[in-house]
Amino acid sequence: MKNTLKVLRAERDWSQADLAEKLGVSRQTVNAIETGKYDPSLPLAFKIAELFDQKIEEIFTPTEAG
Amino acid sequence: MDTNTKRYLRQFIYSMIAYVLTLIPSIMLITMYSDMPINPSIVVTALAPVIPVVFMIVFFLRYLSQIDELQQRIQLLAIGFAAGTTGLLAFTYGFLENIGFPSISMIWVFPAMVFLWGIGLAFISRRYQ
Repeated sequence: MKNTLKVLRAERDWSQADLAEKLGVSRQTVNAIETGKYDPSLPLAFKIAELFDQKIEEIFTPTEAG
Repeated sequence: MDTNTKRYLRQFIYSMIAYVLTLIPSIMLITMYSDMPINPSIVVTALAPVIPVVFMIVFFLRYLSQIDELQQRIQLLAIGFAAGTTGLLAFTYGFLENIGFPSISMIWVFPAMVFLWGIGLAFISRRYQ
């Protein structure tokens, strides 16, 4: 799934480690979400949306199939 | 490395040290008294090294409950791979023992599973990097 996490993080000058700490997850998880290798669970997606004061759909968009 | 992993590694190392420290006297004592018939104190002595391993497993289960969702997924896949492969290898070798292959002690099952879990972890972690 595509997402704007990296951009949102950069706007606030946060490192991946900073974001990981705020979300209560590992840096590895933040990196995996940003690179599209892992889609977060619904609770984590809501946490992310709340942290950046946006809706989930504004941050995450499904990758087009094919 | 995050706090949970650091804490778990520390607990794991202490457990391993405790395991080695109980294993050596245990083996020495049961060797010394190998002529004696099996009695409760010999059984307890032989099983003493299992106690630190019980702690190791408790620490690992606690670690599993503390790590985040992606780390849990990686561990689940790695353990699934290790359990399935170990089971298959033991099952397969059982048939070979039936036709005269040398018997392998059950004590090797757990180390084999841990080894395969490590291999699984390495490959599955890479998928998410």
